This record gives sequence, structure tokens and C-alpha cells, in this order.
Amino acid sequence: MLPENLKKELQDRIAAVDHPRELVVDVLFALQAHYGFVTDEAVEEAAGLLGMTPMEVDEVATFYTFVYRRPVGKYVIHVCDSVICWLEGGRSLQEYLSQKLSIAPGETTADGLFTLLPVCCIGYCDRAPAMLINKKVYGPLTPETIDQLLDELREAH
Amino acid sequence: MTAQVLFKNRHPDRIATLAEYRHSGGYEALAKVLADSSRQQVQQVLTDAVLLGRGGAAFPAGVKLSTVAADAPYPRYVVCNADEMEPGTFKDRVLIHADPHQLLEGICLAGFAVDAHEGIIFIRPEYEGAARILEREIALAEKEGLLGQNILGSGFDFDIIVHRSGGRYICGEVTAQLNAIMGRRPNPQQPPPYPTEKGLWDRPTVLQNVETLCCMPHIVRNGADWFKGLARTESGAGTKIFGISGRVRRPGCFELPMGVRLSEIIENHAGGMAEGSRFKACLPGGASTGFLPAEHYDIPMDFESLKQAGNRLGTGAIMVFDHRTCLVGVTLNLMEFFARESCGWCTPCREGLPVIRELLREIEEGRGKPEYVGVLKEMGRHLWNAYCAFAPGAAAPLESLLAHFADEVQEHIERKACPFG
Amino acid sequence: MIKLIIDNLRVEVPPGTRVIDAAEQAGIMIPRFCYHPALGAVGACRVCAVQVLEGSCRGIRMSCMIEAEEGMVISTTDEEAVAFRRQVIEWLMANHPHDCPVCDEGGQCLLQDMTVSGGHGRRRLPVKKRTHIDQHLGPLVVHEMNRCIQCYRCVRFYREYAGYTDLGVMGSAGRVYFGRRSDGVLESPFAGNLIDVCPTGVFTDRPSRFKGRYWDFERTPSVCIHCSLGCRVTVNTRYREVVRVEAAHDPQVNGWFICDRGRYGFPYASSPQRPRSARIDGRKSGVDEALDEAARRLSGIAQRHGSGSVALAASGRVCLETLGALTRFGSEKGWRGPFFRAGPRTAEALQSASKNLEEKISISLKDIEKSDFILLVGCDPVNEAPMLALSVRQARRRGAVVALADARSVQLPLDARRLALRPSQLTAALMRFAGKAVADGGAALSDRARGFLQACRDSRVDPAVDEQIDHLGLAARESRRPVVVCGTSAVAPDTPAAAANVARLLAAEGRKAGFFPVLPGANALALGLAGRTADHGAALREALEKGDVRALVVVETNLSELGFSADDPLLENLEALVVCDCLDSAAGRAARVFIPTQTVFEAGGTFVSAEARVREARPAFRGGTPVAQVSGGGHPPRTFSPDIPGADPLPAWQVLAALAREGTRVSADTLRKALPAPLCGAAPGKRLALPASAPDAFQPPEDPATAADGGLEVVVCEHIFGSEPLSRRAACLQELESAPRLGLHPGDAAALQLSAGQRVAVDCGRGVIEGEIEIVNEMARGVLLVPRLRGIDWHAAADGPLVVAVADIRSVKPNGES
Ligand SMILES: Cc1cc2nc3c(=O)[nH]c(=O)nc-3n(C[C@H](O)[C@H](O)[C@H](O)COP(=O)(O)O)c2cc1C
Ligand code: SF4
Ligand code: SF4
Ligand code: SF4
Ligand code: FES
Ligand code: FES
Repeated sequence: MLPENLKKELQDRIAAVDHPRELVVDVLFALQAHYGFVTDEAVEEAAGLLGMTPMEVDEVATFYTFVYRRPVGKYVIHVCDSVICWLEGGRSLQEYLSQKLSIAPGETTADGLFTLLPVCCIGYCDRAPAMLINKKVYGPLTPETIDQLLDELREAH
Repeated sequence: MTAQVLFKNRHPDRIATLAEYRHSGGYEALAKVLADSSRQQVQQVLTDAVLLGRGGAAFPAGVKLSTVAADAPYPRYVVCNADEMEPGTFKDRVLIHADPHQLLEGICLAGFAVDAHEGIIFIRPEYEGAARILEREIALAEKEGLLGQNILGSGFDFDIIVHRSGGRYICGEVTAQLNAIMGRRPNPQQPPPYPTEKGLWDRPTVLQNVETLCCMPHIVRNGADWFKGLARTESGAGTKIFGISGRVRRPGCFELPMGVRLSEIIENHAGGMAEGSRFKACLPGGASTGFLPAEHYDIPMDFESLKQAGNRLGTGAIMVFDHRTCLVGVTLNLMEFFARESCGWCTPCREGLPVIRELLREIEEGRGKPEYVGVLKEMGRHLWNAYCAFAPGAAAPLESLLAHFADEVQEHIERKACPFG
Repeated sequence: MIKLIIDNLRVEVPPGTRVIDAAEQAGIMIPRFCYHPALGAVGACRVCAVQVLEGSCRGIRMSCMIEAEEGMVISTTDEEAVAFRRQVIEWLMANHPHDCPVCDEGGQCLLQDMTVSGGHGRRRLPVKKRTHIDQHLGPLVVHEMNRCIQCYRCVRFYREYAGYTDLGVMGSAGRVYFGRRSDGVLESPFAGNLIDVCPTGVFTDRPSRFKGRYWDFERTPSVCIHCSLGCRVTVNTRYREVVRVEAAHDPQVNGWFICDRGRYGFPYASSPQRPRSARIDGRKSGVDEALDEAARRLSGIAQRHGSGSVALAASGRVCLETLGALTRFGSEKGWRGPFFRAGPRTAEALQSASKNLEEKISISLKDIEKSDFILLVGCDPVNEAPMLALSVRQARRRGAVVALADARSVQLPLDARRLALRPSQLTAALMRFAGKAVADGGAALSDRARGFLQACRDSRVDPAVDEQIDHLGLAARESRRPVVVCGTSAVAPDTPAAAANVARLLAAEGRKAGFFPVLPGANALALGLAGRTADHGAALREALEKGDVRALVVVETNLSELGFSADDPLLENLEALVVCDCLDSAAGRAARVFIPTQTVFEAGGTFVSAEARVREARPAFRGGTPVAQVSGGGHPPRTFSPDIPGADPLPAWQVLAALAREGTRVSADTLRKALPAPLCGAAPGKRLALPASAPDAFQPPEDPATAADGGLEVVVCEHIFGSEPLSRRAACLQELESAPRLGLHPGDAAALQLSAGQRVAVDCGRGVIEGEIEIVNEMARGVLLVPRLRGIDWHAAADGPLVVAVADIRSVKPNGES
């Protein structure tokens, strides 16, 4: 169930636009922030708020990289696997991350902290090899910077 | 240092403020057109300046604006394409971070040129930072009467909103982007109708790349001839933001005259090739352009010259590969990208790309058979018959690999291993 | 016309024709997966590529996406076009399983055809096939997602064409998935069409799963008889059993599709319960013996009590031949009837609809798709005439205004303006609408029409809705092709005539206006034209009570439709009850003499649909008990005999001839000719030209606002699954039936102090209807909805909207006590 204040906030935003549908991704992001990922229930709630059918919302939700339809960890690591990062050793960094977190790409650590998702070029090729953690960019990466980052995040938690 | 136009206010460590932008002449163009220009005049100066779309397709911006008929229905929309998801491309991000108001003024000018009152910046989720900057600066501009109701007392209203994408490369394609904004699945939609006739919510919509829009205030303020004069070559116009990455010493974004030589970009601006590297090839304009072999190392980087060379300037995102880079590996990586990001609408792209990727993987990993080369050639050719420009974009590196680096491919097959280890 | 050249052939097509269609007209079938004439072109599959040699868009182009141009030159055999098409197939096959032998689409699969004809026979790609998890989609449709070639036809049909929301496409790239959000029964009653539109075996027919291949089946052109629309179907039979029914293309009527009632309603024909032998006084007998015995008894009764003491009962299920036999032998013998419908109200409604369907205003389903204003009066398309709903939807998609005046909370796969009105309010509302829909003056009108217009303008309705109606009328002024669709069950007796008059009035103004009736049964129009209004169930009941009728011959009719209950004591007054039917019914079991008849699949037959179109069903097989039943399910059959077992049933018209002692050799043709004009001239495929009947000078009905004061109008509601007598025997459809509940408006429920779930008994005079209350928000006030579903004894209210007093409604305990 959505908390009233979030629901109200979304309703207000929706009421302010001519075409509620254009907010579908925003609403999904908001629900994702609330639930941790876009649950089946969230899809239905989004549909209700936007005047769409749940199917229409899911058709959109399942399309996008940054809309998670399955549970993810607290920190989603989007590690770039596109050409420049690959060129700069991104593959071994990804393997390093995998090994360090003991998860395969696509998986979440047992403590629910980290999810590792390889993605396409994140637009920071000048900082290759690069990755995003919860949409914040890090790069150029080395095993050392990765160690440090993960430790910081673990500690912050 | 060559003339800095779009990067005039760029600082290494912070974004330019509204005051800085205004101090450098920012919003003068807007004030001028609001005071004394007609829509047609704005369209005309952009057409005369030969401002070609910087998003990859190189369509003349002035011409596009003028296809919105004078009696077209309202509301009309301007969409700023800040999706920038093509591997190797990051110039739009740098532009936004450098001087956000330049973009806002550009959008507003485009809006004036077609009598639109709403601008939408479509931005990829990876650029959340840039999205927030834009939202903040939009609010500031509104406060100073540079956006919103009754801009500079002219009676012209124009609002800009930031629309966050859910993240897919296909959303950069015009019609897919419009579908995305409308909350539909972002499959492209072949014209007719053209977006300038029936775009968002069936209303006239003009969509331009960030860099294209950023050029507009300068052209309006300084004139078409000035803009054309910025270019190094006869065939080019203006400056270009080149984003350079890969095996160079100093990857980054540089504003250089259109038509600057590739060699000059690499050597003078990107600090030369990386330690111990020799230039082998580059993708001159993003992942959907072809490999440009070393024989073109001195090519003038403008739309026309690259076309002459059988290639494209694309977005001007130069990805440099050295003599130790396996181009089969590069192409395999690119195909992985394209296969993953296909929208899934048409067969060549959805089915063809994964097959091509697998064939390249076989070759790269030493299981390639001689007949695969022919199969790949055929399939590359057939990609051109896809529904939208996505799959032909993927064909570009593939076909150029097979055309210019056939030996390298052959070597993989014969050695049953990647010669680069 | 546009002239172009395709593969060196000169082709002439109307402007706007797609190249793929132009080629087809010239006999060149260009491959296609995503293109479907009803769903349009989307350019997704890319298999229809051709080379444009001359024209505005030279090069390899998709023939579904380009229109024919004057002087265009097209090559479908061009080397590059062929190579590309072959490549498309190879790509699709890269992921498609290679197990056609276990796929039910095999033999009827577009992908299989294209793969073979495109010459793709050798795999040269070292790739793994992707796999998906299938979903359970209910009793009708099987889902095997691995077979998908992503042509998007299914979603385009389901969502865009049909307007249902629970099927879609999820994911992107090679991961796209066509299905529901989760397992579950498909909500659309048109879901079966997925089987026809899907070019591969993703969606296949569940009931006929693994029962045979396309080429094993005998395929016969036929017509659906599960409602009055007469959709064209193809019947597949094998081993003396109807295995599957598919939509057949009919551009004027059902287009490419049919509804699930029509597709899955057939199992009654091979039901093990189907009576296959005759019975005399409860004992099995040969058919000849039973016919003799019945004829003997009937003539005895006729001799003793006069020929008028023998009565015939019929329903919209009988074909034109049987109706001819009823008419001819009935009049020759002096028998009464045929009696049909429950009483004066429904009988008049049917006849006013039938007799008013003159040629000038009669329209087809296709015409409805092209209309720009549709007023639906007292009809529930999805439940009473399903494909009508899809036609209305196509009109709506093109921008037509759709309005709905009904007592029920009619659900449509489109948005419509709603007027919740009691049946007794409909006529006045319709007329008031017409008064507004005609712009002032009406100068071009005849005196008669002007008289009607005046009556319309004088018509008064409930002040609560008049503004809405006026609005609607004004909205209709602009329309060029307005249509009034009117039902015959949830309306006042004069509503259909009023609807026709409104259409005539609009037509008289020079518009292309139409009237489309929704009728009770596949051949109801013929029955309405041939029968007498006075011969209805209530009249029969009276005659039985008085002893005027001593023998009753029931022909392919469920007596509930005539307002009789299964164990009606009045039937015991009969000296002879003769029942001829292919169904196992209560009347059949009670019959003194029972004679089994053939189904439409065995006998064939002619029917006149609601749009006055003559529809022919050809015999699909010779009859007999299905081999599977005779052989105990084993294969091959181990029981041998010189005769076909279970083949006693005769066409109903032959039974009637035998009862009239005319022998069974009578020809179907002569029977049809025995019908009154214009039915006697019915030629398959043609539409009957019904004579013009002048608009009655209508008097607006009494102000109906008070009619139901102190009571409720009881409306019997037909459901798509569970109401129609033939299809309700299909087990797969029974799973989809709604729960039987009595519907009340929340306001009425509150006034009556009833709440959802409470059981009530409603005394309808002739019987008591008992059931659980359901609160229905969008329905009209002052109405009680009674579903025509098993578990509800609805026959007592069968004669249309009768009024019950509040005092007649009492709540009961679940076990039936007060
Ligand atoms: C698959 C695909 C992705 C694209 N992505 C982008 C993009 O991210 N940014 C962009 O500006 N143009 C992109 N384009 C080009 C746009 O379709 C369009 O041509 C451009 O945005 C128009 O603006 P311009 O004329 O100012 O360049 C893409 C095109 C295709 C086919
Ligand atoms: S080429 Fe086809 S599948 Fe690929 S992105 Fe374009 S439409 Fe989608
Ligand atoms: S399920 Fe069938 S109809 Fe739907 S996309 Fe796949 S192949 Fe086409
Ligand atoms: S709409 Fe009527 S005639 Fe058509 S298929 Fe359905 S039940 Fe049969
Ligand atoms: S390739 Fe990794 S950020 Fe561009
Ligand atoms: S039939 Fe033309 S693209 Fe599919």
C-alpha cells in the first residue's frame, strides 16, 4: 500500500499535466524508490493513478533498464560493459566486482545490499571504465577504488 | 586555442551560472527575436547557417523548423533530445554541465520559431545529475523572466520541463522518443505522418539534439555567415563538440571547428595516442558509424568529408582503437550493445543482431568457420531493410569491419583464436 | 483506378490499395506475417519485401507499407528481395523450435509454409534457441510462447481491434513476451481469434488439442447459429465429430473474426448425452416406428378434438427448411402455431423488429463499422450478439459517437455514453432523441414523417435524463451515417418499431441511416416474418388451460423460452407431447414420443440473420455417434457394423413431413418455397428485400415515469456463455459462465433493505424466481436483472420486462425458507 503522502504527491503531479500517461516512468520511479523495486502491486497502483490499465503500465515498465520489476539490493551497481569500458579493462573489473560480492551479474548479495547489473554505455566514456551506483557515477575504476567504494557503502549502511 | 562558442563558459570544475551566461551574451538572442523578429526569420537564419542536426542524422535544423506549417494546430512542442545513449557519446552531458542556460535559450528559440509554448527535455536516467541541474536552472530562468509566462515582457510564453527516460538506446530515435514521452512503448513509428505534422499527442513537434539547440542562440545573435565562418572547411559550418575516448592520452570533449582534421584532434587536443599505442582505426561518430581505417587519419571531420569516405560524422563521438585492439572484439561488443537495446519490433534487428553477435563470438573465441564471413556480410546488408535506423546503425561497424579488416577476421578463423590474445 | 505492373503483370487497383493487396488481386501471394487486412500494416516482420523498380520509393520496400502508385513497377522475384525474405525466415527460424510434429499449428502454420516455400531447410547458425515460460490462459486457448515470431498480431487484435486489456507485449529486444501479466483466463470473449490471427502455434485451440491435423479434417463452410448475426464459420470434422470451428472470412458480416460462443459452442453435437434414438412412452424405439406412432397419435387427437387441438412450438434455432415444414404442414393439417416466444410482449417486440426491417434502412455489420453515430437501445451486444460489439468498436475507433440506452450495466469494449433507462422508458427516450436529432423544419419530409417527427418532439421522458437525451440528439445532428441498434428482449414491445421509425425519419432527411435489430436466435427474423404475433407462449398456456390444445409438437425448442418451466404441470394436460430435438432437454425427457433430430452440422440448413442475410450451412458430415465414443476412446475403432451407429437422427423438416404423413422424401427446396414472401425467395448469400412498411403514426407512449412506481421491471439478461441453449452445453464455456445473481441498483437495494449476497424470492405471477442479490452500479433504477443462467429459474419472467410489486419480493434463507 502506498503511504497517503506519496499518493497525494503523485496525484497532485498527475493532476497538473494534460496527459497523465506522460508521467508513467516518473510514477514508476517514485514507486520503485518506495518499494525498492516495481512490484506487481506497484504496477497496479501506478495504473490506477495514471488512468491506464495495469497491462499498459507493465508493457512500459518491462521495457526499461532502470525500472526494476524484480527485487534489487539497496545499492544497484550498473557496471558499464560497452566498448570503451571494455577496452579499458571493464570486463576484469566486472569480474572483480562479482568475485568481491560473490554474486554473478544479475544477482543480489545475500545481505540485500548490492545488485550487480551490467549495462550499456552510461555516457561517461571519458571516465572509463565506469559504473553507476544508484545513478551516481564512478570512474575511472581500479580494483582499489572499487574496494574503497564498497567499504564506504557497507559502512554507511 | 580555437574559438570557443558552445564551451565559452565551460569551467573544469563547475557549471556556468545564469549571470555568467548572460554576461557572455546569453539570452540576447532570445530578447532580440522576441523584440523584432518573425518566426520565419529565425527559421531562415538557421537554414542559412547550414546548421545540421548534431544528433547523428545531420538534417538541416532550419528546414525542420520550417516544416511546421503556419496554420498547424496547437499546442506545438519542442523536444530536446538529451538521451545520448550511443556508446562513445557524452558531449550532450558535458554541454549541459558546462552551460545549461545555453540549452534552455536554444530550446526557447526553437519554440519561438514554430510558435510552440512547451519544451520537453528528454534525458536518460544515467544523467540524473544533469536533469537536476536543468530543473534548477529552469526555475532560475523563470524567476528572471527568461522562461515561463510573458518572457521578457514580450507576451511570449514558454515552459520547459525535464522528462526522465526509463533508459533504452532506442528512446533516442525521434519517433520512439515521442512514444516514450507519451507513456507508450518506445517503438519507432515510420512516417508519415511526420512529427512536425503529428508528433506528441498528434500535435506538431520539433525534436532536436542538445548540441543543435545549443548552437541556435549563437547563430541568431551572430548571423549565419559568422557561423559558417567558424568551420575549417567549405563544406562544414560552425563548431563541433568532439567527444574522444579510447586509446588516447586525454579522453574528453573538445569544441573544434567543423572540418578539423582527425589527426589534429588526436594529437593536439587528446594528447596523442596512449602510451605505446599506434592508431589503427576509429569510429568517427559513435557506435553506429563505421571503422575509419588509418588511411583516413588526416580526414577533415565534417559531415561531407566523412560521407565521401563512405562513413558518417554521426554524433562526432570519436572512439580510437590502437594496434593492439582486436576489432572483432570491438564489433562483438558493439553487437552485444545493439542486440540488447533493440526495441524488438522488427525481425532484422531483434533476431538478426543476436545471430550476428553469436557468429562474431564464434570467430572471436576461435570457433569461427570460413563460411561465417559470407553469412555476416549477407546479414549486414540485410540489416539495412529494418524498420528504423537502429539496425542500419549496427550494420555500419559490422560492414566496415568486414570491408576494411577482412584480414584480421580471417586471421581469427585460421588461427582458431584471437590473435590479440 | 491505378495501373501498375507487378512481376510483369498489369494490375489495376483502386487508389489507396497496398502493394501487397494489389499483388494478391493479381494472384501473387507475397509472404506476410504481421500484415493482416483487419489489423492493418505495421511493417514489423519484414517478410513482405519486394523490389520497387519504378516509383517514388525505389529499392527494397515492404509491400504492406507502400501504396500502389500509377506507373509503379514491382518485382517480387527480384534476387535481392528474395534473398532478404529468405534471410528473414532464417532469422525467425533461428529461435523457433524445430518440433512441428508436436505443434498443433502444424499444417496450418504460416511460418511452416514460408519456411518450406522459402527454401530454408538447413541450419547454418551456431546459436542457442531462446525459451520462454508459457502461461495458462484458460479453457479455450493454449499458449506456447517459444513459437512466437513477434509479429504483434495478437496484441493488435486483442487490444486495438477488440478492445480488451489483459493481453499485451512485455519486455524489449529478443525478450519480448506476448501474454498476460500473470497466468489466468483471458478476459475477452473474442480470445479464440488469437488462434486464427497468430501465424504460428503460440495460440492454439485447447478443446481440439491433438485431435488431428488440418489435412485430417473435413472442412465445411457453415454458419454460426448461436446468435442472430449469422457469422460465417468453417467447421472441422473428423471421425464423426465436430472437432473445431474457425472463423471464415465474410467481408459484409463478421469480417475475419467470430466470438468464443460461436467458436466453442459446438460440443452439443457430439455430447454423449445427446439423444440419438427415438423413444415412445419412455422406451427406446426405431425412428420409423416413433414417427408412425407420433403421427398416429396426432391424427387421433385431431380427429377427436379437431385439428386445431394439435399445436406446434418452435424457436429461433429452427432453420428455414424446418420453418417451411412447420408452415406448410401446419397449415395443411390445420395445426396451430408455430408458437414462439414467451408472451405478447416479446412476441410483439420480435415482430415489430422483423417487419420493420425494410431494405432502405437495413444495414450490415460492415455498415455499422462505417457509421458515425450509433445508438444502442435495449441491447447488450457482447452478450446477445457478440460480434456486433466488435463492429461498434471499429466505428468508435474511427471516431463515431456511441450511445447506449439500457436498463442493464452493459459492458462494451469501448467507451460509450450511457443512459440507464427502464425498458418502459426506452420508446419515449428514443423518440425524444429523434426529435432533437432532426434539425428544425424537416421541410424535405413527407407528411407522415413530419407527423412522426411531431410525435417525437411531443415525447416526454423522465426529467432526470431529458437533458442527456437532448444532448445526444444534438450530437446526432451532424452525423451522416447514423444507426439505431435495437434489441427485442429488454425493451418495451413497441421499442423496435420506434427504433426503425427513427432510422426512417433520419433517412428521410437524406442521411444514410440504418436500423439493426438484435434478435433472439439464428433464425428469429424468419420466425418473426412467418409467424403470427398472437401465437406465443402465453397464448399456448391459455389454450392448454382451456383444453383447446391436446397435443403439442415441440420442434428444436426449449420450452423455457415459451415461458414454461421444466416440470410445468400444464404439460400434463396434454394427451400427446411430441418432441423433436437434437438436445437432451426437460421437455424431451417428458415427451410421450421423442424423435432425435440432426444438428446443423449434419443436416445443414438455411438461416436468415438479423441483417436479413440468407446464410447457408452445408452438411459437414453424415452424422452418427463419434468414433471415439463408439470405440471407447481407442483407436482405431474396434467396433464394426454395416450401419453408422447413432445415425438415427433426421433433419427436423423430415420429421415434420413424416408426422404429417408426407413421407421423409420431401425436398428442402420445396419447403423453403412454402414460406410466405419474401422468405420463399431466400437464396443463400443474398439479402432478403423486405418490403417497405410505412412508418406508423406513432403516439408517444404514456409518460412512463410512473409505470414502475411501487414495483420493479424484471429484465431477463442473456449472457454470452450459459444462456444460449446450444452453446451452454459446452463444458469449456461452462467454466466461463458468470455466477447467477439478481441485479439491483444500489438505490433500490437500499430502499428494499437488501444487500449484496442476500437471497430473495421474487413472485412473478407464473412462478417464483429465487437468487442472490448483486448490487449493480451502472444499471437503471426500478429494475431487477435476472440472468438467463443455470441455477436461476428465469422462465417465469421470460416474457420481457414485466413489473413485479415490491410486495412480491421477499428475502429468503439460503435453504429456501422465508
Ligand atoms: C537508434 C537511434 C538512436 C538515437 N539516439 C539519439 C540520441 O541519443 N540523441 C540524439 O540527439 N539523437 C539520437 N538519434 C537521432 C535522432 O533520431 C534524431 O535524428 C535527432 O535527435 C534529431 O535532432 P538533430 O536534428 O538536432 O540532430 C538516434 C537515432 C537512432 C536511429
Ligand atoms: S530496427 Fe526494428 S527492432 Fe530495431 S529498433 Fe528499429 S524498429 Fe526496433
Ligand atoms: S504470439 Fe503469435 S500473433 Fe503474437 S506476436 Fe507471437 S507469433 Fe505473432
Ligand atoms: S456473434 Fe453470434 S453468429 Fe457470430 S460467432 Fe458469435 S454467436 Fe456466432
Ligand atoms: S563505454 Fe562505458 S561509459 Fe561509455
Ligand atoms: S507483412 Fe509487411 S512487414 Fe510484415
